[in-house]
Amino acid sequence: MPGKSLEQQSVMVEQSCRRCRTNPAVLVVRTEPVCGECFSKYVHTKVIKRMESFRVRFTSPDQLRKILLPISFGISSVSLLHILDRQLQTQKSKTGRTGYSLHVIHVDTSSVEPSAPDAGLLSQLKDRYPHHIYASVPLHELFMSSADGSPSEAYKDLTEDSSLEDMPADQKLLFLIGSLPSATARADVISTLRTRLLVQCAKDLGCEGILWGDSTTRLAEKTLAETAKGRGFALPWQIGDGDSPFGLTFNYPVRDLLKKELTAYASITEPPLFPLIYEPPKTSQPAPSSKSTTIDDLMKQYFESVEENFPSIVSNVVRTTTKLEAPSTFLSEARCKLCNMPVADGRFGIHGWGGDQEDGLDISGKPSRELCYGCTRSVPPTVTLSQGVK
Amino acid sequence: MPPSPCAICKTNRALILRPKNHQKLCKPCFLSVFESEIHHTITTNNLFHRGERIAIGASGGKDSTVLASVLKTLNERYDYGVELILLSIDEGIKGYRDDSLETVKRNAQQYNMPLTILGYSELYGWTMDQVVEQVGKKGNCTYCGVFRRQALDRGAARLGVKHVVTGHNADDVAETVLMNLLRGDLPRLSRTTSIITSTPSAALANPSSSSPSSPPSHTNIKRSKPLKYAYEKEIVLYAHHKNLDYFSTECIYSPEAFRGSARALIKNLERVRPSAILDVVRSGEDMARLVPGSDEGCGGGCESQGGNGGQIPVAEEEDGGCGSSGGRTVGGDMAAVERQLALNENAQENGLEVEIRTVGVKSQGCERSDSLRSDVVSLVNGKSGQRVKGQAFTPRKTPQRQVMGQCKRCGYLSSQEICKACVLLEGLNKNRPKNQIEVDGHGQEEANEAVDAIEVGLQQVKIEGI
Ligand SMILES: [Zn+2]
Ligand SMILES: [Zn+2]
Repeated sequence: MPGKSLEQQSVMVEQSCRRCRTNPAVLVVRTEPVCGECFSKYVHTKVIKRMESFRVRFTSPDQLRKILLPISFGISSVSLLHILDRQLQTQKSKTGRTGYSLHVIHVDTSSVEPSAPDAGLLSQLKDRYPHHIYASVPLHELFMSSADGSPSEAYKDLTEDSSLEDMPADQKLLFLIGSLPSATARADVISTLRTRLLVQCAKDLGCEGILWGDSTTRLAEKTLAETAKGRGFALPWQIGDGDSPFGLTFNYPVRDLLKKELTAYASITEPPLFPLIYEPPKTSQPAPSSKSTTIDDLMKQYFESVEENFPSIVSNVVRTTTKLEAPSTFLSEARCKLCNMPVADGRFGIHGWGGDQEDGLDISGKPSRELCYGCTRSVPPTVTLSQGVK
Repeated sequence: MPPSPCAICKTNRALILRPKNHQKLCKPCFLSVFESEIHHTITTNNLFHRGERIAIGASGGKDSTVLASVLKTLNERYDYGVELILLSIDEGIKGYRDDSLETVKRNAQQYNMPLTILGYSELYGWTMDQVVEQVGKKGNCTYCGVFRRQALDRGAARLGVKHVVTGHNADDVAETVLMNLLRGDLPRLSRTTSIITSTPSAALANPSSSSPSSPPSHTNIKRSKPLKYAYEKEIVLYAHHKNLDYFSTECIYSPEAFRGSARALIKNLERVRPSAILDVVRSGEDMARLVPGSDEGCGGGCESQGGNGGQIPVAEEEDGGCGSSGGRTVGGDMAAVERQLALNENAQENGLEVEIRTVGVKSQGCERSDSLRSDVVSLVNGKSGQRVKGQAFTPRKTPQRQVMGQCKRCGYLSSQEICKACVLLEGLNKNRPKNQIEVDGHGQEEANEAVDAIEVGLQQVKIEGI
C-alpha cells in the first residue's frame, strides 16, 4: 500500500523537524522526527556517499565509465535508479558531463517464476528516466548458443551431455528448474543464474561493475539466507563492496538504508515512485506449506519484523558481515560450475567435511561434479540438466 | 502407503524417517548410522586419544544421556581406550536438580561409569539458593549463567580430568551461528563453531600447571562436542529406540531474545529444508575462516591440521544449549543492543561520540565483555536503562581483537584481568546488601512487545511440519 509505512510512522504530536528545525516533521527516522525535505536529503546522502568513486572528477572527459544497474522493479532498485538519475543530472548541470553512464537491465524470469513482474514496466521506467540505456533480457539467454552454434558457457558448465544441445534455450532452462527438488532450490538456482547472466551482460556491454540495489534489510536477509543455504563461504562477495570474483566490481549503494525507509521515500518523491514498483502478490495463505516456502521467504519475513523494532540490529548484521574477508588466494581457486564462486581448496560438493552424512556408508557411484556446497544442496546429484524432467 | 524397505539394508521394513535427510530406515540401521556418524566425528577430528580420562558433562537430559550411551558403545566397539566418567553439577536450587540427578545416578549404574556430583557450594562456596537470598530473584540469572559456564571446567580440574565432553548438538551450534550473526559478534561465531575448544594453557604446547605458584589447574581443560553434527531430533529418536533413561524437562529459563529468535529460525529452516541445520553449521565453519585475524579459526572442519591443531580458546561464553544462556529476561538483550547501536549510529551521523557508562558492568561482571570490545556495544543483561549519556569521550577507534588472558584469581580464561565468576564472587563475599541490579520496567515492557512482534512475524510464516 503506497505511503502506508509513512503514515504508520507519522508523528502524532505536532513536532518540528529535528534537522532543519523549520518544517513540520512528517516521519521518524531512526528515532529522529524529520520533514519530507530533510528525509529526502538523508536518503540521497546515504546513497551518494557510496557513489564517491563515480564522481565526475574521477573520470577523464574522454573516458566513458559504464555501470550496470539491475532492475527488479522492487522498491530498492527503483529508488536507486531515481537517486542516480538525479545525481547524473546534477553532475551534468554542474560540469557539463557525467561521471558515468547507466545500463539498466531487467532479467525477465517470468518463464520460471509465476510471480515475476511484467517486463512492460521497463518502458514506464524509460519514460520517466530517459537518459539511460534499457534492456530486458530473458533468463534463458544464459543458455543461448553463440552465433557459431556452440553451446553457451553456462550450458557447458552444467552438463556434459550433448543430447539436448539442440533444444531451445528456454526449454533448457525449464528443464533445469523443473527438475529441482524444492521451492528453495528453485529460488536459489534462479537467483544464482540471474546474477550470472547480469555479470555476463555487464561484460558484454563493457561495464566496469554492477550497482546492486540491495537495502540494508535485504543484505541482512541475504546474510542469514545464504548462511542457511550453506553458502557462508561466499558471503564476502555477496555482501561487500569492491572486487567481485568475476572481474567486475560489485557495489551496494543502498546498503545504508532500511527497506522501510525506502518505502517511505518512494511515496514522498514527486511524483511518487509507486507506479514504477512491482509488488509481488501477497502470498497470504493461512499456512503456507513447507513445499512453497523458501529459505529466502523465511528470512524476508523475519527481518521485516526485526526491522520494525530493532533497525540498528539489522544494520549491524550487515556491518558485521561486511567485515568477513575473502581469502587472499581466491582468484586462483577452482570455481563452482553453477554460481562461479571460488571454492577453497576445490572442496566441491557436500562430502569430505566433519558434518558429512555419507561417511562410513557406501557412496559408490558418487558423481564428481564441480559444484560448491550450496549449489550441491540445490542441485543434488540426481538432477542433471539433460534428464531434467518434471 | 505400501511399506517401503529400509534405504540402507534394503531388507527390513523402514520405520524411521531420518530427520537429517528424510531417508527411510529400519531401526537397527538408524541406530547404526547414528553411531557411525559420531564415530566419524570423533576419529576425523582426533577428539580422543588412548589412555585419556574424559568427563562427560551429565545433566540427565537427552543430549548428555545419549552422549554417554553412544560413547560407551563406541569406546567398546572401536577400542578407543579412553576412560569415561560422568560429571554433574548441582547448582543448589532446592528441588530443581532432584529428578535429573536421580537420572544421572541411574545412568552411572546402567553404563557402569563413575559419577561425581559437584555442588556450587563446593565450587564457589555459594549455592544458587544462597545467591538468590543475597541478591534477590531479579539478578540471579547473571550468577547462574556465569557460574554454570565455569562449573564443568572447575569440576574437571578437581577430578584431575583434562577433557570434558558436552552434549551440544547440531541444532545448538546452528542456533549459535545465527545468534552471533544477529548479535554481530564474529569472534564468538568463530570460536563456537569449533568442535574442540580449550582454555589457553591447553592450547599451549607444554602447560606447566603443576608448578605450585600457578593458579589452580582448571586452566587446561579441553572441551569438545562429539554430537556437534547430530540433529536434536535424531538424538531424541536414538534415546527413544534405545530405551535410554533420561530426564525430560524444558529449561526453566526462557532464552534471551537473540537466542530465542535464532532458535525459532532454525526450527522453521529445518521444516523448509531438513539439511539446513547442517548447512548453517557448515557455513559457520567456513565463515570462521573469513573472520579477520582468525587464522586458527578452522572451525573443526579443518582436517589438515589434525591432532591438537584447530583448538580454539573458549571464553566464558555461552556456546549453545539450554541453560547456558543463563536465562535473561526476554527481549532485554535485544532491546539493549538496539539502544546502544542506535546511539552509536546517531553519534557517527552527527560526528559526536557518546560516552558509554558501563555502570554496574564492572561490579557485576560483564556478560558481554566481548561485545564491549567490538563495535557492538551492549550493556549487561539488557538492563542498561538510560545509562548512556551523550558526552564526549574517547572511543575505541577500531574494533580491537579480543585478547584472551587468564583470570588473576582463578586462572580461568578471561578477556578481563579478573574473570566474571571471580568478580561476582567478590561481590557476594563482600556480603553487601542487595545488589543494585535494576530492571528498567518500561523498557522491558517495550522489549517484550517487540519480541512478541517478531514471534508473530515468525508465526506468520509458520509452516506445517512434515
Ligand atoms: Zn526538516
Ligand atoms: Zn556454487
